[in-house]
Amino acid sequence: MIEPVNVALGLAALSAVLSVIATYLAVSDRDLLRALIFSALQSTAYAIIFLVLMAPDIVLVYVPVAVGIYPAVVLALIKRVGRFEGGEGGE
Amino acid sequence: MASRYLIAASIALVVVSLSFAVAYGALGTAVPLENIRSLARAYVTLAYAPWNRTLTAMSPEAVTSIVWDFRGVDTFFETTVLFGAIIGTVTLFRGIKPSARIGEGLSIIARSAAAVTAPMILAVAAAIALHGHLTPGGGFQGGATAAVVALVILVTFSLGYLVSGLSKERALMLRSAGLLGIAAVALIPLILGGVVFQNQAKELSQFSYPAYIGGALTSGSLLFYNLFESLAVAAGLTLTIMLLLSPHEVVEEAVRGEEHERV
Repeated sequence: MIEPVNVALGLAALSAVLSVIATYLAVSDRDLLRALIFSALQSTAYAIIFLVLMAPDIVLVYVPVAVGIYPAVVLALIKRVGRFEGGEGGE
Repeated sequence: MASRYLIAASIALVVVSLSFAVAYGALGTAVPLENIRSLARAYVTLAYAPWNRTLTAMSPEAVTSIVWDFRGVDTFFETTVLFGAIIGTVTLFRGIKPSARIGEGLSIIARSAAAVTAPMILAVAAAIALHGHLTPGGGFQGGATAAVVALVILVTFSLGYLVSGLSKERALMLRSAGLLGIAAVALIPLILGGVVFQNQAKELSQFSYPAYIGGALTSGSLLFYNLFESLAVAAGLTLTIMLLLSPHEVVEEAVRGEEHERV
């Protein structure tokens, strides 16, 4: 029988692994729009970790800021500087 | 291609070394000071303690009672930092007048979905902010959630639709009203014979915000702080989004106009 606390911690560990993969994809992707989506995915994984670690106050501020406002601001930036990193394909 | 492997290797190295260090007690397995936990214990036990009215914040939410009562001045200056950043943005974009011309927006499906969900997000935001002294959440959380509504409206209905309902000046006014409200709640105790940021009556100064209003627990000043903070944060973030997502041409024109005037 698996203890409930281990299920919760396993969920956090899974989210942590997911966040590392998403971070790698966000950093390495040359398409900035896709990088932004990976970044939001990483934020979602962090939100789950915060929830498991019993920090609901942080979750409530992290979700709107990291999934709503931050992508919007970065999106405005991408619109200005072009979608692709490194010259070709960009404006 | 080599740089991709380098990035992957460096991320992996940071993760492995950090988790190794934490697992083997880099953050300290023993707390260094003798009685450091007693402070945290005092905060948690005194957050809601009707039997000890001179020391309690009268709020079952320990985080909010620390944020706005025990460590209120900290939060005041954190708010100052946030609004310093917002004022900086508004100053940079000062020449911009977001036009109230209503654009096409997205498809009818997206607009209908947004019209249904926007009031629901707003209701959740209000619940987070106004129950901040009872359940997890508070002014900043509620305000940030409310700003998402403005974002959803901006994306699905167009910037002009948002501006025709909430102009730049009105957003600035709402933000200022929120900040003035916070200042007023902090200073009212001083005027009425208490100390700055006082919530409940203390041994040496008897001023007290009402802990109950009409039988409902309102935790004195905490409800008002959360209310005004959510107003200020929602208006401030909406203003920032509105300015940052203005069309490129409008921004260019505003910046160029300034330079011409100076020459």
